[in-house]
Amino acid sequence: MTGMSEYLAAHIQERLAADAYELGIRVDVRGDVVHLRGEVMSEQRRREAEEAARAAAEGREICNELHVVAVAEPEAEERLS
Amino acid sequence: MIRVAAAGDLHVGPEVAGAYRARLSALAGQADVFLVAGDLTRHGTAEEGRIAAGELRDLGVPVIAVLGNHDYHSGAEEEITGVLRDAGVTVLEGGGTVLDCTGTRLGIAGGKGFGGGFEGRCASDFGEPEMKAFVRHTRDFAERLGACLQDLDADVTVALTHYSPSADTLEGEPLEIYPFLGSYLLGEAIDAAGADLAVHGHAHKGTEKGLTSGGVRVRNVALPVIQHAYALYRLDVPEATFRRSVRERVSAW
Repeated sequence: MTGMSEYLAAHIQERLAADAYELGIRVDVRGDVVHLRGEVMSEQRRREAEEAARAAAEGREICNELHVVAVAEPEAEERLS
Repeated sequence: MIRVAAAGDLHVGPEVAGAYRARLSALAGQADVFLVAGDLTRHGTAEEGRIAAGELRDLGVPVIAVLGNHDYHSGAEEEITGVLRDAGVTVLEGGGTVLDCTGTRLGIAGGKGFGGGFEGRCASDFGEPEMKAFVRHTRDFAERLGACLQDLDADVTVALTHYSPSADTLEGEPLEIYPFLGSYLLGEAIDAAGADLAVHGHAHKGTEKGLTSGGVRVRNVALPVIQHAYALYRLDVPEATFRRSVRERVSAW
């Protein structure tokens, strides 16, 4: 990664916070591709994060590898004694 | 024996309204209390606060919550607190509550907390006013949390925060952002009071299980970490003499 692409990753993270209210998404710029990794709470938010990233990506392709958090009911309890 | 259900970082919003609540139908039969470790909303609007209140009202068990940083984003934290309280949720911010769980008194003290970092790698109350304000916000809360835990007249005590009292449960997060995820000051306060469990959220890429430096079990219950609608913990009630000895040992450090 070049220094300039690191700045671009930072600017995309700023946009993700401001427009998509997502703070925990990892952004990596590799050549002409911006990679998004992490977890969001819904499919709609997954799309919104991609749109926010695209708006700051200066024309680069977005590789959206964000995962929607599963919230199944718990299967077991932990005993703390 | 007390059964605690806990979750954090619900991040509700209009497009997911009702989806979280749909996963809570079995909760009343599994737990004596539901602890919510902050970030109930996505960006802290009053509308999202009303949605969060709808998710948590009338669950059949007491719901105790703290707010998180997302719940402060729009400056509507007081309104969010109000609608949650109107829905029957107890919202703690530097305070505590004691519940009677079939004869066992469960004391919970908590609040949002704040950052600063961990032992030997943390911000100091020094220099610019902005840095002092940052550290003092955490220190002030930690002092209130510790005093509140000490004052709880309870058989079992739990500390509930959004920010983490331990670096253990941040494992998986980038080291560089640990100071924005929690503070040793929270852990130090919890250890001094000798709590039985500390529950927090905030660190989505962290780890569920950890310890404070003094040996109190810490659980990171952020939904992306526990990967379920809530985690369930069963706490055995310690003998009174044992509990006292733990407190004396910790406070002697």
